[in-house]
Amino acid sequence: MLTEIQQVLRLVMILAKQRRRCGLKTAGGLLVLLWTDTGDSVQSLNCTVAAAGPWCRGIQMKALQPDLRDLEEIMLPCAWPCPPPDPEELFAFTDLYGSPKLLLSFQMNARLLRPEWCARLEAFLHTFSVHNAGINIQLRFSLNQQIVQRDFRVKTKSRVALANQPSLILDVTSSTVPPDWVETGRWCVGGHPVLGGRLPLSIPPEAMDQGLFGELSVQPVTLLSPCVLQYPNLLTQLTHIKVLVCSPSNVPVTGPSTFLQNLPAHLDCRELGLHGLRCSSFKDLVHSSGTVYTAEQENCEDSEQEWSPPRAQQRLLLFLFLQHNDPFTCQLSDIMATEVLIERHLEAILNNNRKAVTAALQTELRDTLKVQNHRKKDQEKLRSAAEVILSSSISIVSCSSNMDFRNACLNCMKARDTHELSAALRKSLWRVTSWKFIPKSKCYTTQMEEHPESDELTRAEI
Amino acid sequence: MSLFWAISNQVKEQDCFMAKLIFYLSDFLLILPDVCIRQDVLTRIENIILGIVTSLSKDEAPVLALPNRSSWANVSFDSAIGLQMSSGSSVTTIRSDCALSVAKFAQILKILLVIYRLVQSNSYATKRDIYYNNTQLFGSQKTVDGIVDDISCMLKVPRRSLHVFATSKGLISGDLCYIEEDGTRIDCHSSSAAVAVSSNIDGIRNIVSCAKFVLIVEKDATFQRLLDDDFCTKLSPCIIITGKGVPDVNSRLMVRKLWDTLHIPIFALVDADPHGIEIMCIYKYGSVAMSFEAHSLTVPSVMWLGLLPSDLQRLRVPADALIPLTSTDENKLTSLLKRPYLTSQPDWQKEMELMQQTKVKAEIQSLAAIAPDYLTSIYLPNKLRYGGWV
Repeated sequence: MLTEIQQVLRLVMILAKQRRRCGLKTAGGLLVLLWTDTGDSVQSLNCTVAAAGPWCRGIQMKALQPDLRDLEEIMLPCAWPCPPPDPEELFAFTDLYGSPKLLLSFQMNARLLRPEWCARLEAFLHTFSVHNAGINIQLRFSLNQQIVQRDFRVKTKSRVALANQPSLILDVTSSTVPPDWVETGRWCVGGHPVLGGRLPLSIPPEAMDQGLFGELSVQPVTLLSPCVLQYPNLLTQLTHIKVLVCSPSNVPVTGPSTFLQNLPAHLDCRELGLHGLRCSSFKDLVHSSGTVYTAEQENCEDSEQEWSPPRAQQRLLLFLFLQHNDPFTCQLSDIMATEVLIERHLEAILNNNRKAVTAALQTELRDTLKVQNHRKKDQEKLRSAAEVILSSSISIVSCSSNMDFRNACLNCMKARDTHELSAALRKSLWRVTSWKFIPKSKCYTTQMEEHPESDELTRAEI
Repeated sequence: MSLFWAISNQVKEQDCFMAKLIFYLSDFLLILPDVCIRQDVLTRIENIILGIVTSLSKDEAPVLALPNRSSWANVSFDSAIGLQMSSGSSVTTIRSDCALSVAKFAQILKILLVIYRLVQSNSYATKRDIYYNNTQLFGSQKTVDGIVDDISCMLKVPRRSLHVFATSKGLISGDLCYIEEDGTRIDCHSSSAAVAVSSNIDGIRNIVSCAKFVLIVEKDATFQRLLDDDFCTKLSPCIIITGKGVPDVNSRLMVRKLWDTLHIPIFALVDADPHGIEIMCIYKYGSVAMSFEAHSLTVPSVMWLGLLPSDLQRLRVPADALIPLTSTDENKLTSLLKRPYLTSQPDWQKEMELMQQTKVKAEIQSLAAIAPDYLTSIYLPNKLRYGGWV
């Protein structure tokens, strides 16, 4: 089921991308509706994929019919066409986004469905939404007269401009809840993707034998979350890196990659300022749509101290957007077939370009984590200076014979003696320096979150 | 008794009586104001600390405001005083929550603590002592030197009130005796060896001298030449002092002290080049960096004895002893001519404009091209006898 839906989405995205070259908008809706025919036993599962809104304007189902007949074999090898669903089922969707420009329905034997297919489908659609944040996705299950609906609607999006390609709209929403003392409007609820250097890839011979030609490349984009740019003194700690691979049509590539799983062994973690990277277990990867690395942490000396500086835990999302250009591939069926070939031979492609890909990813990760390492150095400067500031101030208070001065200092900090005063001053100094706030115009404030439909929530990042 | 004998051999009878009176009263007179000054310094430091604690109690990052001592925009010229810091001058903010400035914030606090303890215990230390007590924190002697001056400016107290001494580099010689704060008697009469300028000028008392004038000498080489030629006793009793180039604060304080005490003419003997003129201006009008303490450092009555640019033409100094001005020299000369204090010195302006026209400069040593002992045998005596100063 997932493969079929993936193929249908690929078709929709290719059609939409061709139109986006003309400058059309990327917003709209996508419906994935799953339902069963009424009956005592569930033999077959029906699926409808519908697309509506500005992002697919210009797509005409009638004109596509010949292509769709040709593509049936590629797209739906284990499925067959079925009648569209009851229009009432589509009402909620069409009410929001207008009548669908594209509507495809198919049916498959329910017994062929893999276990946990629901969870996989949800994970896939979520990842699809991350890569294509302008599209609001509705996933609706109408099974055994029970209706379950899941909406994938992105709160905070960011536009990433690409050379000679339509821009990417990525989901940069940060789910991290700020600490209680952070004032409203002083926490960035999004992230700021950074475009890396595009890396050309050579196509291995076995892929060429299968018909894969043209220019293939990978465009990395990195995203650190949550954003703490407005807190320049806050220490950060990287906990996870997630690698998401995307086909040229912006459809996520599913399935684990041995190359990516083994990548940590070939990275220079010291250069990245990390103690180590460990790939998450295969079991965890099944539903995660992507390769996840856990960053190994150093033994924390701070725990031995009376009070240690706060740290913001961050995750790094590394998008790898595959790009393909072949002037001899312009038919829809050829484009679809090429994408299937790229995904099928992805492992071989990555291995064929092992050194270059590893070096490029090392560079991207190093550049992204440079900021974290600068923060560590700055934090060390602040920490060592704070000790001198506190010890000098307390010494002057302690050896002063001016009772008015001593009492004023103690009363200010509500301390009974210089020992309590020292502890109170230390805590306060760490708090004010760690949480120093400098507003950044590019950050997303929580006030903006109240207007999710506003264009202002989409930022352009270069 | 020996002190009384030394004084009575040097001064007239009424001066002798005054010297005795001052000698017995001076210790008493110094104590009272000294205690008040020390308490004032302690209070000012306590106010800084209270400000820091108050900021932290309000969850605000503490900041220190240092008056900007390097900007010409923050100084004004007064003909009676020289260059002095303007009220309402711009400040530099040193933040405790910024990685770029937090180290300086910590250094300032550390030195404030050192000063607090020195003043409280009425003891003294040199800037070098402070640096070597924590080289890792300060990094360089220059950092300590700058911060001590910043603190003096921030607290609005004279440097000497901080009980931190600078190591003097200046030398002094001539008809002069005085007593240091620790009771050491200093006699500058020796013709073979000069005396180092004291590190504690404020503590000097019982200055006794028959000198008719004070001669500020730019360079150590010239100073040594005057010593070797026994200049201080040949013509008339005088005092010669050098800061060995750009003068340190103690050398300037000493010149000021001599002026305040002896009220005798102060002459400057510098090279006929822009650098020498600038050094002379520091003695006379002060510097931008120390403008906050101009009252105790400047001597606006300093007169330019030599080497004047007009002397080079008048004395026909050989051409091979003259040096062409570099572009740096010309820029400095132009800058000097624009300074506010020169508008009240038309004769100095004429000399500098002459240098601009001739485009040459010369060291004092160039006079040796006329004759080996020309400087001390002819040039200086004639200048002093016949009023050859501007």
